[in-house]
Amino acid sequence: MSIGLLLLAALAALGASVVLGRSLPRAWLALSVAGSGAILAAAVVELAGAPEWEWRSAFRIGGEPLHLRLDGLSAIFAALLGAVGALGAIYGREYWSDRHAGGSAPRGRAWWSAMLVSMGFVLLSSNGLHFLIAWESFAISGYFLITLDDRHRGAREAGWLYLASSHAGTLCLFAFFAILAGRTGSWDLGPMHGQPGLAPLFWLAFCGFGVKAGLFPLHIWLPSAHANAPSHVSALMSGVAIKMGIYGLVRFGGWLPLPAAAGWVLMGAGMLTALFGIASAFAQNDLKRLLAYCSVENVGIIAIGVGGAFLGAAHGDAPWGRLLLAGALLHVWSHGLLKSLLFLGAGSVVNATGTREISRLGGLWRPMPWTAAAFCLGAAAISGLPPLNGFVSEWMVFLGLFEAAADRGPCAWAAGPAAIALATAGALAVATFIKAASTAFLGAPRSKAVSGARECGPLMRGPMLALAGASLAAGLAPFALWPALARAVGSWNPRWAGAGPPAPLLPLGAANIALAALLAVAAAWLWRRAHANGLRRGPTWDCGYSAPTPRMQYTGGSFSGIEAGWLSWMLRSGRVRHPPRGLFPADAERIEPVSEAVLARVLEPAGRFVLRLSAGTRRLQHGRLPFYIAYLVGGLAALAALVMIK
Amino acid sequence: MNETQNLLIGMAMGLNLLALGSSRLPSVVRAMAVQGVVLGLLPIVIEARFDWLVALVGVVTIAVKGVVIPSLLRRAMRAANIEREIEPFIGFVPSLLLGAVGTIAAVALAHELPLLPEHAGTLLVPGSLASIFTGFILLVGRVKAISQVCGYLILENGIYLFGLLLIHSTPLLVESGILLDLTVGVFVIGIIVDRIQRAFDSLDTRKLTALHE
Amino acid sequence: MTSLLELVVRLALWLLLAPLLPGVVNKVKAWAAGRTGPPVLQLYYDLSRLWGKSVVMSGLASPGLVAGPAIAWVALVAAAMLLPLGPAGGALSFSGDVLLLVALLAAARFCTAWAAMEAGSAFGGMGAAREVSFAVLSEAALITAILSLSVQTGSVVLDGMLSLSSGPGAVLLAAGLFCVLLAENCRVPFDDPNTHLELTMIHEAMALDHSGPPLAVILHGASVKLLIFAVLVSEAVLPLGRLPATEAAAALAASVAFVTVGVGLVESLLARLAFRRVPLLLTSAFLLCLFALLLAWKGGAR
Repeated sequence: MSIGLLLLAALAALGASVVLGRSLPRAWLALSVAGSGAILAAAVVELAGAPEWEWRSAFRIGGEPLHLRLDGLSAIFAALLGAVGALGAIYGREYWSDRHAGGSAPRGRAWWSAMLVSMGFVLLSSNGLHFLIAWESFAISGYFLITLDDRHRGAREAGWLYLASSHAGTLCLFAFFAILAGRTGSWDLGPMHGQPGLAPLFWLAFCGFGVKAGLFPLHIWLPSAHANAPSHVSALMSGVAIKMGIYGLVRFGGWLPLPAAAGWVLMGAGMLTALFGIASAFAQNDLKRLLAYCSVENVGIIAIGVGGAFLGAAHGDAPWGRLLLAGALLHVWSHGLLKSLLFLGAGSVVNATGTREISRLGGLWRPMPWTAAAFCLGAAAISGLPPLNGFVSEWMVFLGLFEAAADRGPCAWAAGPAAIALATAGALAVATFIKAASTAFLGAPRSKAVSGARECGPLMRGPMLALAGASLAAGLAPFALWPALARAVGSWNPRWAGAGPPAPLLPLGAANIALAALLAVAAAWLWRRAHANGLRRGPTWDCGYSAPTPRMQYTGGSFSGIEAGWLSWMLRSGRVRHPPRGLFPADAERIEPVSEAVLARVLEPAGRFVLRLSAGTRRLQHGRLPFYIAYLVGGLAALAALVMIK
Repeated sequence: MNETQNLLIGMAMGLNLLALGSSRLPSVVRAMAVQGVVLGLLPIVIEARFDWLVALVGVVTIAVKGVVIPSLLRRAMRAANIEREIEPFIGFVPSLLLGAVGTIAAVALAHELPLLPEHAGTLLVPGSLASIFTGFILLVGRVKAISQVCGYLILENGIYLFGLLLIHSTPLLVESGILLDLTVGVFVIGIIVDRIQRAFDSLDTRKLTALHE
Repeated sequence: MTSLLELVVRLALWLLLAPLLPGVVNKVKAWAAGRTGPPVLQLYYDLSRLWGKSVVMSGLASPGLVAGPAIAWVALVAAAMLLPLGPAGGALSFSGDVLLLVALLAAARFCTAWAAMEAGSAFGGMGAAREVSFAVLSEAALITAILSLSVQTGSVVLDGMLSLSSGPGAVLLAAGLFCVLLAENCRVPFDDPNTHLELTMIHEAMALDHSGPPLAVILHGASVKLLIFAVLVSEAVLPLGRLPATEAAAALAASVAFVTVGVGLVESLLARLAFRRVPLLLTSAFLLCLFALLLAWKGGAR
């Protein structure tokens, strides 16, 4: 099927679902799944080897003819959009249904489809003006989706922070596209390597897209927005929306001539983002906030890969640059699938127990075995453990960094520290997801929130299992994904097209398959052996303690206490203590909220300072007329003095 | 000769980091003493031919820096009855990392400096800059007087190392003079430490601000 | 691709030799303390005894309590197969296999910590929390060591990295990797394998609620991990690729024995470090590997 027809069908289906979403939920579900499926199909057709699709319209929107383009690079992101969009819609049908969420559900459905349409246009637009229109509508639909549950103050504040940050980024993008149009003479976008004067504009794009992607220190909106949004919205945002920022960086890094420092800065920002993100994630006790900070870390990993690709392209099209770009794009897919899986699982948990706090959960594997299995697979995968897909993409980025370091070129100075930072972030990720998954799902229930928990319905279970299956398949057969990645890398840098895979994906895939088989066999054999020897259930021994209670288990805060102590200079968590009073055991409480470090320690003091200054200047606004006339006279005198000095 | 030189200076740089990471004062004193011995061997190694004067100064340096000064410090520690640095300004892990960064920066800086070709390949300048930086970290970041004295002595080691660049021009008498100054200085410090301990019942140098108006 | 026979022989070698190492360590400790100590083959007897015992599972635990140790064991044995044995090379060799090895060690850690949290006990949480927190620092040191080997030899394949000559930073690398060995295998000064006090446990705390065959699998996996690190330390320092095959094998075996005896002596002579001082020691190990990396970098550039 031709790509153009598929995209037109997608537009029609999603457009219809925006209109019908408010009143006909079943029709909305069918139309949005069909539309997302059409986007996925178009992307797959493009990645399978179809020539680059381009279309210019005869009519004009805003004075510019519509110019759409789908090449290998946008197809990667479009495939992710289609997959997560469809699965999230299915999930949202049950999770945010009319019965459950009341009045906000119709709004949620309409804005969901609107967000999918705007993201699709962002990926397809090849004209600066329409890119901005699509970007703005994408940001606004994100705002309405985050604040769906506007009864909660947290959601409203998160939405406001998201909107403010997003617009700060869009301001940079406005400047970027406007100056670009001014210098090149038209709003049309395409490869522009011949004009070195455009290179400094990359920094504007870096700021604008960096805010959306969530690079440190522009990530301040991400944790609260993804934590307070409904879970299927968080899945879409973490899985796809922040990748739009990555898309912008990669796309305009490929089309514009890059300044020399671009690769270095991006790699450095990626390292900082990865380390800061995962260290903050480890200290969180809110399940969704933890997952949001983990998204920050993974964006950092992708940024390291993209920065390395920029460096590789600038230093003689080094093969490790190609490997790093392929690894970064594969990580876009891996993280997109895995983070959506984790957020959908978290949504199931929140739905069943009514709380996001890890330290109130526990023992959820028994009432919710499917959610537990899917979440734990996602946790293992995103920690970068073989034989799953998170490992494969991180392995490719690692291998690229090692090859760059072993090359001893000038880029080795960046690649070495980046590899060490990546390894540290990986170890922290293992720790974080052990904490999250085991505190929530294993052991005994820590509070009464767990008592009413029940497994979610089929519409919620299905997408989770589909994502888990896709992750496993991608981990076991990475060489099957190589042609798609090769197409994307080749469309980004034509000199990198055509050669074979830069990394031995075939032996890796074979090792993964062998490992998966052996793991299953060993686990089954040990289980059978244990049963053959005689398996008895008893209370937890715990070194002979006679009366263990669920409250004695490690909570989330105690698990990360060692690390939080080491990093207290960075995290600066507050502490609220209510010690027991009186002679006999009584209720006591210790709360350690970890706030967003950059927001609380940099932006809020700066904001308070600005407010204090402006409060000071408000004294000029006292309402007395003679003084206002005196201000006028003073202004005229200053002008006169200026004229005399000139 | 270059290799032995570099090995000795490498050991001295390693001892810097050891001094930064130890919280036990006897370990810091021992690290500083071994560093002094190692650096005392250096002029003997650098001079290609055997010279009686150089050997004598080397032996005296080793004796003073390796035996006399550490014993004075140990006596002071015993009199003041302290063994550990408990809560320094700059914690142990940060000072260790800072020392490592300083060492790497010293090597990078030495690359940029216009050195003579015979000194450009050796670790003389990086080692001296690293020791000076380590000495400063100890002086600024530690609280007990003994640690600060050890920091000062490591600083002196660094300056001495730098002075070896001019080994052919500086009369060894100047080096001996500096050594004598050091010995007398540490002897006086030993007495002062005893007095501080008696006056304030601790060697915490922050308490010395009680003397200001 | 190696033949099936070679694969089986290699597997048998790793599986059968591994339980010898803790026995040697305990014998060295006993000798240093003036005791006779348990026989060197004690772990073999323990494993066969445990394999026949029945299992008592906590009522709170899911099947992950049994699956976790099994998955960890497979990951460790797979990592062992990847490691080249001197001149024999690894079972499967491709560019970037060293990163697969590190990831397999991380997977083993994940599953062991998971199995520890299954029983819902305070000690399990304590052991798991300490293990994963300290692993962050030891992982940084390990990757820096591997990076320095890679930069030195210019290769990203385990065979190439470990068989060429040791560079100028060999002593630093040996010290750093030995420290990582002690940390990752829960030996003194990071953890006392003989302790009965929960305050001082890491590995023991994670294995408290296991019994029977799963416990045997955990103990065997721990010994395989010790052998992996001992072989890694030996091969990182010795230039095994330059020697003829029999001499290289003998040198490797002697070096592994030397490392094991060294572990025993360290355990006898040092006391366990207070937990708040562990980051200092691991940071020192990281800095040792970092300086080895810089020496390797400098060595090639000149």
